[in-house]
Amino acid sequence: MPEVPTTGQLLLLVAATLAFAVGGVVSLARVWWERNDLRVFSKAMMYVGVLLSAIVLIWHSASRGSWIPLEDNFDAFIWLGLLLAIFVQYVQRSKPLGGLEWLVMPIVIVLMIAAGIFGKAKPHEYADGSWEWTHRVSSFGGLFAFFIAGVAGVMYLIKQNQLRAKHPSTGPKLGSLERLEHITYSSVTLGFALLTIGLVTGLVRVLTHSKTNLGIHWYTNPKVLLAFAVWVVYAIVLHAPINPTFRGRKAAILSVFGLFLVLGTLIAVQYVPSGGQH
Amino acid sequence: MHRLLLLGLNHTTAPLEVREKWALSADRQQQAIAAFRERFAGAEAVLLSTCNRVEFYAARAPHGGPTADEMLTFLAEFQQLRADAFRPHLYEKSDRAVVEHLFSVTSSLDSMVLGETQILGQVRGAYELSAKLSGAGKMLNPLFQRAIAVGKQVMSDTALSEGRLSVASVAVDHAKQIFETFADKVLLCIGAGEMAEAVLQNFYSLQPGRVLICNRDGVKAAGLAERFGGLPVPFDTLSEHLVAADIVISSTGSTLPIITQKQFKSLRRQRRGRPIVLIDIAVPRDIEPGVGELDNVYLYNIDDLQQVVSGTLASRRDAIDAAKLIVTKGVEEFLIWHRTREMGPVIDQLFKRSHELASEEVARTIGKLPNISEDEKHHLEDLARRIVNKLLHDPIKTLRESNTSHGLPGGYAHAMQKLFQLKDENDPPAE
Repeated sequence: MPEVPTTGQLLLLVAATLAFAVGGVVSLARVWWERNDLRVFSKAMMYVGVLLSAIVLIWHSASRGSWIPLEDNFDAFIWLGLLLAIFVQYVQRSKPLGGLEWLVMPIVIVLMIAAGIFGKAKPHEYADGSWEWTHRVSSFGGLFAFFIAGVAGVMYLIKQNQLRAKHPSTGPKLGSLERLEHITYSSVTLGFALLTIGLVTGLVRVLTHSKTNLGIHWYTNPKVLLAFAVWVVYAIVLHAPINPTFRGRKAAILSVFGLFLVLGTLIAVQYVPSGGQH
Repeated sequence: MHRLLLLGLNHTTAPLEVREKWALSADRQQQAIAAFRERFAGAEAVLLSTCNRVEFYAARAPHGGPTADEMLTFLAEFQQLRADAFRPHLYEKSDRAVVEHLFSVTSSLDSMVLGETQILGQVRGAYELSAKLSGAGKMLNPLFQRAIAVGKQVMSDTALSEGRLSVASVAVDHAKQIFETFADKVLLCIGAGEMAEAVLQNFYSLQPGRVLICNRDGVKAAGLAERFGGLPVPFDTLSEHLVAADIVISSTGSTLPIITQKQFKSLRRQRRGRPIVLIDIAVPRDIEPGVGELDNVYLYNIDDLQQVVSGTLASRRDAIDAAKLIVTKGVEEFLIWHRTREMGPVIDQLFKRSHELASEEVARTIGKLPNISEDEKHHLEDLARRIVNKLLHDPIKTLRESNTSHGLPGGYAHAMQKLFQLKDENDPPAE
């Protein structure tokens, strides 16, 4: 049974958010002061944030008596933020990418804050059946991939500006354009596939479940329209390799635009009435 | 006794259009030194010609030839150029200033790209060529050997050369900011000159998938292609290869752009928007600047690359200061060593001659004193020796300790020889 987060869980979440924030700021400071102690401190703060977030998730799951993830907003937002933070640490361990921490951390922090704000709302009356769970898992998976794509897009644009200014070695040290483009396309491909599954399963749910309150004109619902807009944007980005017009800078701009659209959709989902959500 | 002279121009005094007119190939350098030796017998010469500088080092007797004007006339005649037209771009240095300049050159402190190591090899090459032709002798041999040693010390003891700072390495760094892997990339080199080769050498370390050499002279292209495991391609198929290329190095002697914006725009569709890095190190430029404004095209010319290099100067200030200290110390040590070597024999001769004169006078005096005892004789000889020593003490001390900023000791030594009628070892034997 889903449960509203306790004050203890919220306090722990605040601590995790602060750890991520400090880690991100220190990582940003390394753009100007490349010092090993700063690197170690930033990394330590990230790990603290990951650990605290994981504890919050375990605590919350234990208190609600279910270990299935994404059963409520609090759980879903923290999962999303935690996965992003783990992804950053994984990349930095395997093949470091300068700038990744301080560009991803704001999103992680927003997600943690969103968990605190929207997680207090009455928990989602979780629709039974595998369609709903598939819908949520694939949609959140898609969001995760689009966040990565958006961040890679921002990094691509910064890097390209450095290269155009003929001083690629000055400013933040980001990866090569090719790597950033590769991350963007891989993430968009994954995100697009997951979002497509999310949209299809959502559509099935709308058409087959009487519980949904999107109404007869569900296709005019902002949540549905935003989700479809996101899908279209990423469909265009995916065409970049075969359509040179959308390659490079334009693909990066689109993926950043898509990132904002995704965030808009995520917020819209909280306010727009839909199947069981408030 | 020798004096040093330098006549030269470099990247700070002359644009590339001027420098390339004065530049000499190794064969021409050889011919120039032989011609110089023929015209100025007894003088020494080393001719340094790189893409950034043409410098003519000479050592001559204090009042012998050549003078700086004669050196300029000689070079202008040799190169079949009008000397007056280039005079504003030239610099002349003599004695200490020559030593300081050469030491700075070998230490890469006078290079367009501070810390580049190529110059050391180029100076060594120029010196060895001259030494082989007996162009470098008693004066230039130790000077160049010491300069090369100081250059090596700067490279090994300071961080000046760290960061692989050369135009070629900066170009490679730029490409690495754009591409992650190179095994699947096509590298197209347009031109087969020295600069193209130097840049290609750096890019080759990235192990690109395919190397194409496109040059008007097919033989040169084939030679370069063989060295880098590449493929020579005809110049008239350039557009076709620009479609396949990911990295282009262009360094031709063309006076007009060989890649225009219009031409490149027409290739974009075939290239499917793939990013491309264009390195244009030619002057005049081979690639129209407008090409760099196109999407996914990253164009860097020689100025862009050099600006990046100069931008790193601040972070290497300590290394530059350390290198300058080594150079200053090296110059002082060389001048002291040289002063000692040049002045030693003169001082010896001066002592010897003065004491001989004194002894002669003492002997003459003793001859006029028939009843002189042995003790008195010794007293007289001591007196004469002490007078000579006291008379010579101050001028010799001044000579030995005089500030090296006054330059090489050639002038002093020559003056001493003339004033005291000393014999110069370099003077030709009397007929």
